[in-house]
Amino acid sequence: MKEIINWLAEPIRSFPIFTVLFYLMVKNYRVVGTKKFGIGALLVSIPVVAWFAADKNFLAIILWPDNIPINILVILISFFTWFTLYKCAENDKRIEAGEVPIEALPENREKVWCWPNLVYTELFAIIACTIFLIVWAIIFKAPLEEPANPTWAPNPAKAPWYFLGLQEMLVYFDPWMAGVVLPGIIVVGLIAIPYIDTNPKGNGYFTFAERKMAIWSFLYGWLVLWIYLIIVGTFLRGPNWTFYGPFEFWDFHKVEAMYNINLSEYIWIKILNVPMPGNLVVREIFGIILTVLYVAVLPVLIARGKFGQKLIEKMGQIRFYIFIFLVLGMTSLPIKMVLRWAIDLKYIIALPEWELNL
Amino acid sequence: MTKKHEPGMAYDMKKLNKVFAFLSVAFLLTVIWVFLDDYMRPWKMVQLEAQKIKREKLTAKIEAEAKKIDQKKLEELNKKLDESEKIVAGRKDDISKLHGELATIQRDLTDETIINGQLNAQIGAVGFQYGVAHTNHDPKADTLFAKLQDLKSRYAKSKNNLKELEGKKKGLNKEVEKLQAEVTTVEREIKDLLNTKTLLEKAKKTTDIDPVFFIRNAPLGDFLDPTVKIQQIVAKNITDDRYFQHVPKVDRCITCHTFIGTPGYEDQPNPHKTHPNLDLMVDKDSPHPMKSFGCTTCHGGEGHRVTDFGSIAHTPETPEQRKDWVEKYNWHEPHKVPHVMFKKSMTEASCVKCHQGVEWIPGATVLNEGRRQMEKFGCYACHKIEGWEHKRKPGPSLKKIAAKVDKKFFKSWVWSPKSFNKHAKMPQFFDQVNNNTKKEFIDKNVAEVNAMAEYIWSISEDYKPFAKFTGGDKKRGKELVKSVGCMGCHGAEGFEAESKKIDAYAGPFLTGTGSKVNADWLVSWLIKPSHYSPDTIMPSFRLSNKEANDITAYLMSLKNKSFDKLSFEEMNKEARDEVLLSYFSAFDTVEVAQGRLAKMSDREKTLELGKRSVGKYGCYSCHDISGFEGRSPIGPELSKVGSKPLTQFGFSHEHDVEHSRDGWIKAHLLNPRRWDNGVDKPFKDLLRMPNFYMTEKEAEQITIALIGQVSDYVPLAGVKRLNHLETVAEKGMKVVNKYNCIGCHQVDGFRGDILKMYEDDINEGPPRLAGQGHRVQADWFHHFLANVYPIRPWLKVRMPSFELTNEERNLIVAGFQAKAEIEKTFEDLNSEVVWAPGERAAAQKLFKSLDCASCHAEGFTTSEPSAPNLYYAKKRLRPSWIKKWLSNPQAILEGTVMPNFWEDGESTDTEIFGGDPKKQMEALTKYLIEIGHDKYSPLDKN
Repeated sequence: MKEIINWLAEPIRSFPIFTVLFYLMVKNYRVVGTKKFGIGALLVSIPVVAWFAADKNFLAIILWPDNIPINILVILISFFTWFTLYKCAENDKRIEAGEVPIEALPENREKVWCWPNLVYTELFAIIACTIFLIVWAIIFKAPLEEPANPTWAPNPAKAPWYFLGLQEMLVYFDPWMAGVVLPGIIVVGLIAIPYIDTNPKGNGYFTFAERKMAIWSFLYGWLVLWIYLIIVGTFLRGPNWTFYGPFEFWDFHKVEAMYNINLSEYIWIKILNVPMPGNLVVREIFGIILTVLYVAVLPVLIARGKFGQKLIEKMGQIRFYIFIFLVLGMTSLPIKMVLRWAIDLKYIIALPEWELNL
Repeated sequence: MTKKHEPGMAYDMKKLNKVFAFLSVAFLLTVIWVFLDDYMRPWKMVQLEAQKIKREKLTAKIEAEAKKIDQKKLEELNKKLDESEKIVAGRKDDISKLHGELATIQRDLTDETIINGQLNAQIGAVGFQYGVAHTNHDPKADTLFAKLQDLKSRYAKSKNNLKELEGKKKGLNKEVEKLQAEVTTVEREIKDLLNTKTLLEKAKKTTDIDPVFFIRNAPLGDFLDPTVKIQQIVAKNITDDRYFQHVPKVDRCITCHTFIGTPGYEDQPNPHKTHPNLDLMVDKDSPHPMKSFGCTTCHGGEGHRVTDFGSIAHTPETPEQRKDWVEKYNWHEPHKVPHVMFKKSMTEASCVKCHQGVEWIPGATVLNEGRRQMEKFGCYACHKIEGWEHKRKPGPSLKKIAAKVDKKFFKSWVWSPKSFNKHAKMPQFFDQVNNNTKKEFIDKNVAEVNAMAEYIWSISEDYKPFAKFTGGDKKRGKELVKSVGCMGCHGAEGFEAESKKIDAYAGPFLTGTGSKVNADWLVSWLIKPSHYSPDTIMPSFRLSNKEANDITAYLMSLKNKSFDKLSFEEMNKEARDEVLLSYFSAFDTVEVAQGRLAKMSDREKTLELGKRSVGKYGCYSCHDISGFEGRSPIGPELSKVGSKPLTQFGFSHEHDVEHSRDGWIKAHLLNPRRWDNGVDKPFKDLLRMPNFYMTEKEAEQITIALIGQVSDYVPLAGVKRLNHLETVAEKGMKVVNKYNCIGCHQVDGFRGDILKMYEDDINEGPPRLAGQGHRVQADWFHHFLANVYPIRPWLKVRMPSFELTNEERNLIVAGFQAKAEIEKTFEDLNSEVVWAPGERAAAQKLFKSLDCASCHAEGFTTSEPSAPNLYYAKKRLRPSWIKKWLSNPQAILEGTVMPNFWEDGESTDTEIFGGDPKKQMEALTKYLIEIGHDKYSPLDKN
């Protein structure tokens, strides 16, 4: 059983599994978003976690002081995701029945004083948070370590937990892409959301039915492309950033068979069986064409389609193209991951001469 | 929000207040907790414990001291004090009158001091004003000058007054003292009697746990001047590598190891124990005072951390201790520490990093033992190690091997040296865990050994023994092996117990010799080793033909029958070709390699494989083999192996090996091929480090010597730098070590391995050399090393004749001199002996009365001498040494038969020079010089 789980946990398998699970969860949010399901899931997860924790290697990983926040994060995110879906399901039922959402009921729309209702309770939150942080600091002491030795990096060398998603991206992308371009797009994209998404629906109340597109795309990026990568980076990446299953001992000597090939090499040598052209642009022309198709032609095609037309109608041309561009940026990650696993693809455009690898 | 609240309120205010109250209390508790957590440090508890122990010790000492005090005397003194107090009380009036006078004088004295001071200040100021006025030709100058003169004269008067008053005060004080004399003397006596106890009590008071203690150590208040605090040593001359810069080493170990430098706490458990070797370490008078060397310089670990027991990187000695520490101190494997503390038994490894360029480090017994083992097994031959480059190859030269042994012996020996001689130092390359399971590997190994034999025979030079074995007496030969001194370098069959005790390793253990060499070769070798091998360290014992034949007869009778019966498997030519093919195809395709192979004749193939195999296994690292001169040794350099990151040690799949540097090295030494277990490798990639079949202890000792080879940078001011004498001495001792002089001679207490065979009478063994550079004269010593003659003819053990170069002899002579701290090379003996009147007769009388000639008989009587010939003392011994020797022979050479005629500096003969020992010894020395021959030895023809 443990071997099967180890085998399943490898990104090549767990990523599609997570994607499918995500799809099933959101698709069936009416089922997931019930108290029955929530309690049931909790009851099932307790013995499962206990069984996981009974394993020495797994326990060592989750009890590593650095990893405690990730444990908390996993629990909190699970809860809040379920809570959102629960709230959405409830409201959607009401809306279908022609009622107003719970938040819009008269007793919930009553206005109250800022003091003490808000300020006082905020103070509670501040105090409770401070207590929590102090106790945490006492129990999990920050280690006093050796001064950094530039010739001897720790192994595994891990980024802070909130950057582990980015670090995981480094496996699939050139550092320039994974470290600069994609994070830049993420930040800009998050800032841009309110300006792109002008749909007033869902303001002040939970709903899924009225915001399908927004929730689908955001939750996929958040849960599968960010949180999943953090979990993999935290619990499943060991020495040499090699993948280790949850029950696997972190043997320093583990070797992974990996030999990656550029798209240009695939096409010129493996398929066309001719020498690589000397001219860099010609050499990489296929990758360049594909990229142009992806970022320039694909949006136009989508815009012409039914789905695109509907969106343009709603949000206008500019917003539509920005939105599509951001979505394409997001989906480039799973595309590259799948290509890596499927055909050992190194770079679509490989121009190390220009420090430009895609 | 099912319940309705007041308008404008979402919550019930009372409930909110309750939540607030709860949170406030919880917050307060958390704050208290965080303060306590910060305040309570493990080391504070240790210091309190130490304070308690100190207090107990002091209490015990005070009690002991109280017992020592003579109570009777104390009582008497007290009584006397009472009486004298009464006497003094009778003079009360006089005393009080004097006190009154003293007070008046003191008043005047103070007044005068003020006046004097004011005047002095004015003189300074006016003097400056006058100077300025004078140089500027200011008309005021004259007035100022007059003022200055006035001030000066008043000052002189005031000074005089002061002196007068002081005088009066002194006189009065004396009078008072006189009146109180009885009391003061008794009081002083009592104080003297109780002094130690009072001091101890004062010391005890510092360990009181009183309100002041609490205030000084209270939380928050303890930043001012706490008594419980972190103690640290900053070693200026030793630095810690902080990667971007070197900073002075900071060690805070003494925070918990409170009494490490204080004698008297040896009985305490750690961390309160006194350092076990204060003479050498820690103590301020020792060569390594704590203040300048710190602790982690030697012990390793993170000395600046006091967070908890584990953070220092304490390393447990044994698995039991590890378990114990885990329970007691919550010990855990150090995290990200590049150099954990050395295990306690391995601390001496650290000596190496500061004591460079010396072969033996005085006081480092464990380390020296490890280095001895390294020398024995010849680690340095295959692995470059800084400081070992000068050593000669540990194996014999193979340049003329065909004349010494036969090919069959050679092959069987190479295959398994231990099966011929279980004491063999030659390690085993074949039939190991990584190459004895597959038939392919065995076949290839057999082919390699056969090929190596062919190759080495093909290049072996011709040699013909110059002597012939004419038969000899086996029994006498055996005796000679023991008596002439062979066993200083060789173990020998027939003398197993002695060999074990001596543990000689400079030469091979003599067993099965008859199965190894031929008799003619052996006779020649014994008579003149340099005939066969010009650079051998084997000396000539000046054996007579008969003696050499006798020894040969004995050694040839030692046969290894089971080894003789062995036959070595023929070479499998296919295996040979396969191995060759893998060599040839290293850079070429298989086809090219096959073509190259096909062009070679059968013989060429064999020789090619032989040469390649010699290179592959690194035979040339230990043996001289023609054609391999100048090749680098086969093994990786070990100069810095102690700093190699642990992650770079290949533990392979051997999970039962302790995960530490020393764990790996020890496991590696015990079975170097174990790392191939469970690894699928082609024949050419198999590990090649041979198996020495050493014992666990030997492996451990070598490990200690190796893990000290670190890359730590120690500033020049911190390392041991040899002074000019030590440098010369070290050079000499390197030669002494090369020829294994220390196999027989104990040099200033060091080694002298063979002496273990003469435990019954140490004077029957080779002479011990103590202060040899002071004992003998330089020119004699230099001459003797090239022209050995028996100084002590009654000894059976012989000083052999070594083939020393003039340079080597010079180094030995200078080295011994420097070791004895003798700065003058030659003695001035050309001038005539000048006698004081009557001195010569006295010397002769003394010579007779002390009966020197009874032992130093030669030349004086006809009886057998049992001490060296005194006629050669003139050229041999230094006069200053003769006097030192005479004054106390036991102090120089414990257990010598030379009697001490001047026990405790007193002469047995009180008539001569009135019993003045100095004059007597001087006269005897002069006498020896006068009668001495002007020859180095009886063999000296000059």
